[in-house]
Amino acid sequence: MTISVLGISGSPHRHGNTETLLDSFLDGAKAAGAEVEKVILKDLDYSPCRGCNACHKTGECVVKDDAIALFEKVLKCDCLAIASPIYTMGITAELKGFIDRGQYLWARKFIFKTLYFTDDHIKRHKGLFVSTAGQNRDNVFDGAFPAITAIFNGTGFEYYDNIIANNMDEYKGIKNHPTALKDANDKGQKVVRVIEKLNIPG
Amino acid sequence: MPIKVLAFAGSPRRNGNSETLLDWVLAAMAKDPDVLIEKIPLTEANINPCKGCNACQKLNKCVQRDGMDSVHDKIIEADIIVLAAPIFCMGIAAQAKMLIDRAQVFTSRKYVLKLPVVPVERKGKRLGVFLSTAGQNWSYVFDAAIPSVKCFYNVIEVKDKDISYLMVNHVDEKGAILNHPTAKAEAEELGAAVIAEIKKRLAA
Repeated sequence: MTISVLGISGSPHRHGNTETLLDSFLDGAKAAGAEVEKVILKDLDYSPCRGCNACHKTGECVVKDDAIALFEKVLKCDCLAIASPIYTMGITAELKGFIDRGQYLWARKFIFKTLYFTDDHIKRHKGLFVSTAGQNRDNVFDGAFPAITAIFNGTGFEYYDNIIANNMDEYKGIKNHPTALKDANDKGQKVVRVIEKLNIPG
Repeated sequence: MPIKVLAFAGSPRRNGNSETLLDWVLAAMAKDPDVLIEKIPLTEANINPCKGCNACQKLNKCVQRDGMDSVHDKIIEADIIVLAAPIFCMGIAAQAKMLIDRAQVFTSRKYVLKLPVVPVERKGKRLGVFLSTAGQNWSYVFDAAIPSVKCFYNVIEVKDKDISYLMVNHVDEKGAILNHPTAKAEAEELGAAVIAEIKKRLAA
């Protein structure tokens, strides 16, 4: 069975550092035989969560837009790579807006108990966070990890790895980083092989 | 001279827990006759996300024309800036993150163009207040929001030590904060304390 890898780019500008890093990861996954798709959040039509909690009563989101279709796609893929640059010590508002919309899945898991992921399912579904930051501080990604953890937990993925590179301002772009793009490509190849191995019956 | 308080209600839910907390703080501030309060619900502010184009590094202004135009000026004029926002999915709600990211124009002004953000006589005097609520009862539920909030205040010339925080967890459904044992009293105390401090600073 072909492994499916979904990359979601949460950057407002196209082909920047973060999307380029995501591309390297997806290229690696493709080279290892995976079926790869990339979704650009800024091209979708969706609004942030309204916090209305209607989903706590129905398990459905009252807002019908592209966010719901994307969550359906997320639930079907084997590997999910979520990409966002760091803005103001956190993920972009576009990505946060999408992640927050997953509240209806939280309601299905914890209120209705109609959505459940076995430990085995979680093990076979790998999530990676792809990010770049201009700042060279080591802690620049810390504010991003909890929301990424939240979406992986909510959609049944093991938070498998980070593909992150800081200090972009000094490097003048990801293309000048000594190792990041190759590391991302290697990680793309590796994760596909790891999932393939886990999917062998017995 | 009136004391200008600019408050952002950053929740998509109107009159929910974080906005109630904000209203308590503002009501305590309003007891002082010198205080002039403007509350902006971000649901009505028409502020788009930052495009990450970095044009502000050269232009000293944002290329987007939206609600941020007037909010930008109000941020500069305020003595106290209050931001209230709930935690969704372990981070600050996307609506508030939009405002925070649009402060990039101040980052460019301060660190790239090295121009003043506020007039020199007001630098170091401004105060910030961050109010938040979260449904989860985990103590660390606010941790990921704080670095972004500090960054926001830093670039609009409010120092780390001049930011006050009141963050209330374990309030989820609308109105839950009304049953919280201490939140209202703490909010009122905070509102009064921040006004007392700004008066001291402005008189100095």
